[in-house]
Amino acid sequence: MKYLNKSIKEINELLKQQRIKPIDLVNEAFENIENNNDLNAYITLNKEEAIKKAKELENQEVDNILFGLPIAIKDNIVTSGLRTTCASHILENFIPIYDAFVIKKIKEKNMIIIGKTNMDEFAMGSSSRTSYFGPPRNPWNKEKISGGSSGGSATTISAGDVLFALGSDTGGSIRQPASYTGIVGMKPTYGRVSRFGLVAFASSLDQIGPMTKKVEDNAILLNAIVGKDEKDLTSARVEEEDFTRLIGKEINGVKIAVPNYFMSDIVNNEIKESIKATIKILEKNGAIVDYIDIKYIENAVTLYQIIAMGEASSNLARYDGIRYGTSEENPKDIEDLYLSTRAKGFGEEVKRRIMVGSYLLSGENAKIYYNKALSIRDDMRKEFKKIFKKYDFIIGPTTTTTAYNLSDPMDDPRKSFMDDVLVIPVNMAGLPGLSMPVGFDSESMPIGMQIIANSFEEAKIYQLASLIEKELKLNLNPNGGEE
Amino acid sequence: MSEYIPTIGVEVHLELKTNTKIFSDSINGYGEMANSLTNVIDLGYPGTLPTLNEEVINLAIRAATVLNCKIRKTMHFDRKNYFYPDIPKNYQITQARTPIGYDGYVEIEVGGEKKKVFIEEMHIEEDTCKSAHRGTKTLLDFNRAGVPLIEIVTKPCMKSGEEAKAYLEKLKEIMYYCDISDCKIEEGSMRADTNVSIRKNESDPFGTKAEIKNIGSISNVGKAIEKEIERQAKLYDNNETFKPQTRRFDDKLQDTVLMRIKETGNDYRYFPEPDIPYVILTDEIIEEARKKIPMLPDERKKIYVEKGVSELNAKKLIQNRSLSDYFNTLLEESINFKIASNMLLGDISAYLNKYEKTISETTLTQERFIELVKSYEDNIITSKNLKDILEIVLESDKSIKEIIKEQGIENISDDKEIRQLIKRIIEENKESVEDYKAGHDRAIKYLMGQVMKETKGKANPRIANEILVSELK
Amino acid sequence: MKEKLTEEEVLHVAKLARIKLSKEEIEKYQIELKELLNDVEKINEVENFDDDILIACWEENTELRKDKPGQMLEPKEVLENAPRHSGNYISVPVVISGGEGA
Repeated sequence: MKYLNKSIKEINELLKQQRIKPIDLVNEAFENIENNNDLNAYITLNKEEAIKKAKELENQEVDNILFGLPIAIKDNIVTSGLRTTCASHILENFIPIYDAFVIKKIKEKNMIIIGKTNMDEFAMGSSSRTSYFGPPRNPWNKEKISGGSSGGSATTISAGDVLFALGSDTGGSIRQPASYTGIVGMKPTYGRVSRFGLVAFASSLDQIGPMTKKVEDNAILLNAIVGKDEKDLTSARVEEEDFTRLIGKEINGVKIAVPNYFMSDIVNNEIKESIKATIKILEKNGAIVDYIDIKYIENAVTLYQIIAMGEASSNLARYDGIRYGTSEENPKDIEDLYLSTRAKGFGEEVKRRIMVGSYLLSGENAKIYYNKALSIRDDMRKEFKKIFKKYDFIIGPTTTTTAYNLSDPMDDPRKSFMDDVLVIPVNMAGLPGLSMPVGFDSESMPIGMQIIANSFEEAKIYQLASLIEKELKLNLNPNGGEE
Repeated sequence: MSEYIPTIGVEVHLELKTNTKIFSDSINGYGEMANSLTNVIDLGYPGTLPTLNEEVINLAIRAATVLNCKIRKTMHFDRKNYFYPDIPKNYQITQARTPIGYDGYVEIEVGGEKKKVFIEEMHIEEDTCKSAHRGTKTLLDFNRAGVPLIEIVTKPCMKSGEEAKAYLEKLKEIMYYCDISDCKIEEGSMRADTNVSIRKNESDPFGTKAEIKNIGSISNVGKAIEKEIERQAKLYDNNETFKPQTRRFDDKLQDTVLMRIKETGNDYRYFPEPDIPYVILTDEIIEEARKKIPMLPDERKKIYVEKGVSELNAKKLIQNRSLSDYFNTLLEESINFKIASNMLLGDISAYLNKYEKTISETTLTQERFIELVKSYEDNIITSKNLKDILEIVLESDKSIKEIIKEQGIENISDDKEIRQLIKRIIEENKESVEDYKAGHDRAIKYLMGQVMKETKGKANPRIANEILVSELK
Repeated sequence: MKEKLTEEEVLHVAKLARIKLSKEEIEKYQIELKELLNDVEKINEVENFDDDILIACWEENTELRKDKPGQMLEPKEVLENAPRHSGNYISVPVVISGGEGA
């Protein structure tokens, strides 16, 4: 008997009526993962602990909608006692000694952590191919990438192993793989979810978010992980709200902007057609859609190269083989300890980004480029704020193409950033953005649409997304068959 | 040796007196077991983030205020990136671009002349961990990692070791008084580095700089600077040059020793710390922090002297913060402050030192102290009496009057009794009387001594003296 | 405009980043970092709206923490993940020169 393909309301009822137990869900999840072993979605499974936790829960009251449900966690979110590698050799055997804020939140809800998902090393990449543990595969076509960096979380959700996963998004790392694998991925407003316990890539851009198959599930998981955290100075003190509250409400009269850049030649035609078809549906429901120009968004990738790489080069300096992590066995001296530990511990792409970041911050470069980038970033945020005075949403494709082949070359460093050209501006401006499936291309690969709103307006995004979901009724099971 | 003009700048790091560290809530302590005062934030664990200790901001505002600095109301922190085993994250969180204080000064006095030492800037940062070198290993203790520091940087405006010494003494006095730091050089809570260069004429560009690091005492700073000036002058006299370098002061050699030649272009790759985006100091925060600034030593000294305390006693009083605070609470009273200061610095200090107590740990309330001073002033007790009853005064709650009575101290103030005694003593010491009449002042002291001896110190000295003089006429 | 960085320039960056590079990597970065710089140059053509800088997408004032001690680690927990330790200390190969910081 399968339960994890039912709605979470049904599962919750079954648990309440004691017709199933949490252990049934856990067993099913591990069975699914076992069957989909070739997808390489996980770095570490938490089997023993998950079973133990499920048994413990048998004697507890089913007190919330997420009770007893399995969840997969991206492997850059630290879990006390459970190996957290960031898909890097340098943390290959690292056992954290504290839980991330979001992990505490999830445990409070009595969700069950099933395992740690595959990703690009330190979240640096857009195809999860920089993982030290090999790339995950796309359930829609195993020769294709799942995207990245949260590729493992996207894969396991898309394949239907579990209903919930957490990812992180620095420059599209939740939304882009969500788009490639046909799932729903939300990058919340910067400050909405505490970063305490998220291994930093670029501190001013990083944000944890939920990845699910359904829009409502996504909102429910976001409900569980938000809240002010005293340990994160950029954790917002905002009123508690229910992100599902606007789901099902009419959208008549909402104003939507489509940036011309998002529908320009850089985007594949099949994707543009799919987005246009979705826009028609929105208009039919009473939305007013304008095509507009947004200043500075074309510079977002350059800003990203400077700011994200700069912050990353500093954030990754702590991996030196002294306090934790993989360390050079017999270093000649302290310099050798640093140089060899880091040369061997980091993969190609991570080293490249550290080099780039160090270079752009060194000498006069910081003054010439970094300051300028921070200043344009401020302008860009102001520009977005101006647009949100007139519009409720900005929408467009999430990606310029659908998922490409795992065997495509990786040697062009700029390619990785160009994959994320449409998602990066959202991180730069700290806005919430969600990707959801809106169709398939001629190769039956999913196409994603991105919905962006003003800061702290996630609930509105879910309102729009749930309407699209309802109208489209896509079959999102990669193995065909009934949803 | 030719004449050169030295240019000296001083950088001081002070550990702030807070309960917890600057960016985490682990304890800011000294002398505890290695690695027992840390948490995952201090160790730079993956995923950790800094928080900012309120008290650090308060103390920094206080410090900036007493250094006469302007305060930057919108500030941020910066990352200083460099690899070293004593910085857990391999970057230090500091303030490079927006130091909390800037453009201040400290007034010093050297050779009777007053001079302002200008403060370039004062910023907040975190301390590194402590390392100890043992054979082939360096051992790391992270208890100090993340202890809050302020760094105070002067303009290169001093001209001698003596000036630098005076500046440091003054700085220490102010910072200690304001409870900003305990300023213990031997424990590293105050650390001074100095930059020294020399040149022939004021119009010449500055000479090559040598930095002298981590000097162990304030007096050694003075010595180190003088030695360094000498060393540089000798080199220039011989037409030699030297590279910018870091030196240290060797206690045994009493001279500076080369540590390393400065690497050109230290490339710290500063950028704004994104984990602590902006700190805005409102007027309320600043006012609140300033309220806790106590009266500063210079002002105290001025008032003490105005109240009749000797220069020396005034200086001694301010050297002892708790005595000075105690003294300040008496300033509105009408007592003889000269006597009061003598008592505090004399027998009372001796008692406090002996039992390692502060005055607030004794029973000497202001009220009882005033009574004590007045009893002395009115000759009800002598200095000998004071010595005898001091322990009781400082350890019991009884009034001074009661103690005097209990101890049987009744100084003989009865004129008749004393006059009779004095007449007898004059009879028995004819020689001394002769001496006195011949103009030898010593004799009267001897006679007084006899009076006191006979009365076992109980005669009221003022009255006895008057009677003695009148009887001798 | 030269089309690649010198070997020294690349080695300087590698030294800052503490990453040991092979000969091939040095050659690769000589070109790649230069190309990147050419890319990044473009932002100097962008006209600023104003001089404000954005450190993080954050409009609120930083909330300060009360100066109250919290939980700390036991020394043995500190050492647990450390590759080298000695007594209660974490250890590294001996460091000769003094620290440069603080």
